Amino acid sequence: MNVIEATQLVKTYNPDTIPVHAVNNVSLDIKKGEFTAIVGPSGSGKTTLLNMIGGLDTPTEGKVIVDGVEIDNLNQSELTDFRMHNIGFVFQSYNLIPVMTARENIEFIMLLQKIDKNARESRSEELMEKMGISETSKRRPSELSGGQQQRVAVARALASKPKFILADEPTANLDSQSTNSLLDIMAKMNEEENVTFVFSTHDQRVIDKAKRVITIVDGKVESDETK
Amino acid sequence: MIFSLSWKNIWRSKRRSLVVIGAIIIGVWALIFMIAFYNSFGAAFSKNAINYEYSHIQIHNPDYLIEPDIFNQIDDEEQIISLLNENPSVISYSGRRKVNGMIASSKTSIGVQIYGVDTRAESETTRLEEQLIDGTYFNKIKRNPVLISAKVADKLRVKVRSKIVITFQDMEGNITSASCRIEGIFDSKSPKINEGVIYLRKSDLNRLVGADGINEFAILLNNSEQIDEMKSTLTSVTANTVRSYKEVAPEFNLMEESSVVTKQLLTVVIMLALLFGIVNTMLMAVLERTKEIGMLRSVGMKKRSVFSMIMIETSLMGLLAGPIGLTFGYLTILWLGSTGLDLSAYSDALKEYGFDSVFYPQIKNSTYPILMSVVMFTAFSGAIYPAIKAIRLNPLEAIRKL
Ligand SMILES: Nc1ncnc2c1ncn2[C@@H]1O[C@H](COP(=O)(O)OP(=O)(O)O)[C@@H](O)[C@H]1O
Ligand SMILES: [Mg+2]
Repeated sequence: MNVIEATQLVKTYNPDTIPVHAVNNVSLDIKKGEFTAIVGPSGSGKTTLLNMIGGLDTPTEGKVIVDGVEIDNLNQSELTDFRMHNIGFVFQSYNLIPVMTARENIEFIMLLQKIDKNARESRSEELMEKMGISETSKRRPSELSGGQQQRVAVARALASKPKFILADEPTANLDSQSTNSLLDIMAKMNEEENVTFVFSTHDQRVIDKAKRVITIVDGKVESDETK
Repeated sequence: MIFSLSWKNIWRSKRRSLVVIGAIIIGVWALIFMIAFYNSFGAAFSKNAINYEYSHIQIHNPDYLIEPDIFNQIDDEEQIISLLNENPSVISYSGRRKVNGMIASSKTSIGVQIYGVDTRAESETTRLEEQLIDGTYFNKIKRNPVLISAKVADKLRVKVRSKIVITFQDMEGNITSASCRIEGIFDSKSPKINEGVIYLRKSDLNRLVGADGINEFAILLNNSEQIDEMKSTLTSVTANTVRSYKEVAPEFNLMEESSVVTKQLLTVVIMLALLFGIVNTMLMAVLERTKEIGMLRSVGMKKRSVFSMIMIETSLMGLLAGPIGLTFGYLTILWLGSTGLDLSAYSDALKEYGFDSVFYPQIKNSTYPILMSVVMFTAFSGAIYPAIKAIRLNPLEAIRKL
């Protein structure tokens, strides 16, 4: 079953002046349980593509269907709701809430989803355990290393039980050791919870760990290989 | 949840929040002080006017109010006196013969109001004797003693024991003159009395005008609360016009009205300053959190919630600071209201307008909840623009910025 179906996506910036075709006619399907890397040099259109798939940006042409829902048909508030319930986000610069502890950050989206306290606590404890960040539970983001922060961010995305997780260059700010352990944890969660991961990168070590690699150059899919 | 996020956000930039909270505290405190201080002016003004000039209630022949002629007298003097003597609310009263006339020295002459008074009663009612600065109070000079103000004495270039001549119309309408001798010179707290009132004994003046009787009663009560009841008591026994000091001197109402306007203006000015500070600070807070707000929106926080988050954050600061400012204000007024604020350094100018140099700041209890609402309204208004700014942020652009 396809979690994501993107059909002939086009994103053109500055259509009236100097048009930039950041994404130029990309079609792709992502199935449940995939562990897929979107690969390409800087400026190739990875972020733009992920943003459209994640319902953060609207395509100039084409459509995105997530779990059977054509998200371009949703109004802004429905889309916000849709993102909350269906899509997990991991950002390059962690983007945790600085005034909350690691645990509160992990539970934040569950709070938005109005999940009750007991369920939240058991879920966040379970995730912290699995991801090896239990000891950080009461610490604020500023008291965590980059690797720990990014694991909290992944746990936050996982906690809300999304249909898939989008991670835009999640390891770009991490050293190689943190990069390895983050990828290992993502792979582990992919196996254990059967969560679909789509992440962009231009880091060869990360590419090596992906099960499917979609290469983008100049906004176009150049290759699509499943290992 | 939004509530706890807002609360935590207040403390993420402690210094900035404390500046806002401090500004609200100081603003509220200063406002209370200014209002109370302003009130003390009004109170002092009324107090002086009552104690030295108008008393609480005055009675006149209704015709006298239209045409202040000597023959428009109070006809039921006895009846009123017996009522006043028995009523426990009355501290004292003075029945006055009043005529308009001229006072002349060898140098010059000026127009004055001549009051013929019962000397004891007048002093008990308007404290005339204690305001003497030279001479004596109707006990040395036998024939037509007169008291004049320092100001009038100055103009006429006369002093105690000088001879002056007063001229006025008698009961028949004939111009009459009489020579008098200055027994005392006073300096009244009432500018009007200083300007042109001179005092004779009532018996002397009545002999000169050729008829007994009075044109005015001035009645001093224990306090202003008794005015209404006393007025109705008097109205039931006399057909003459009974008026409170506020009716006698319309400047009181004018003053009260202008004081309300002034206090409202003060409030608006201070709250505008606060508003500016709040908008500025919260805008900074929002812009500083651009990326974070973008993230919140991305992961599914609704615009409404982001809006509320900023509104609650600001309101909480008002909710926190308001009562502290009110308490400071309350304590300050409690303290100054009993010790008084001595402005003797400026008292020369104040005295000119009939003020004492010690003021007692005061404020109605009902003002506090009003001020609290005003503060909350201000905090709320100040939050709206930053909150709108926060939801206008494009989440995409917000997270693209590293
Ligand atoms: N808001 C924008 N306005 C104009 N051009 C943009 C904007 N965002 C991205 N681009 C351009 O689109 C292209 C793709 O960018 P992006 O999706 O960020 O690539 P990547 O993530 O692979 O580095 C780049 O040429 C970039 O300059
Ligand atoms: Mg990118």
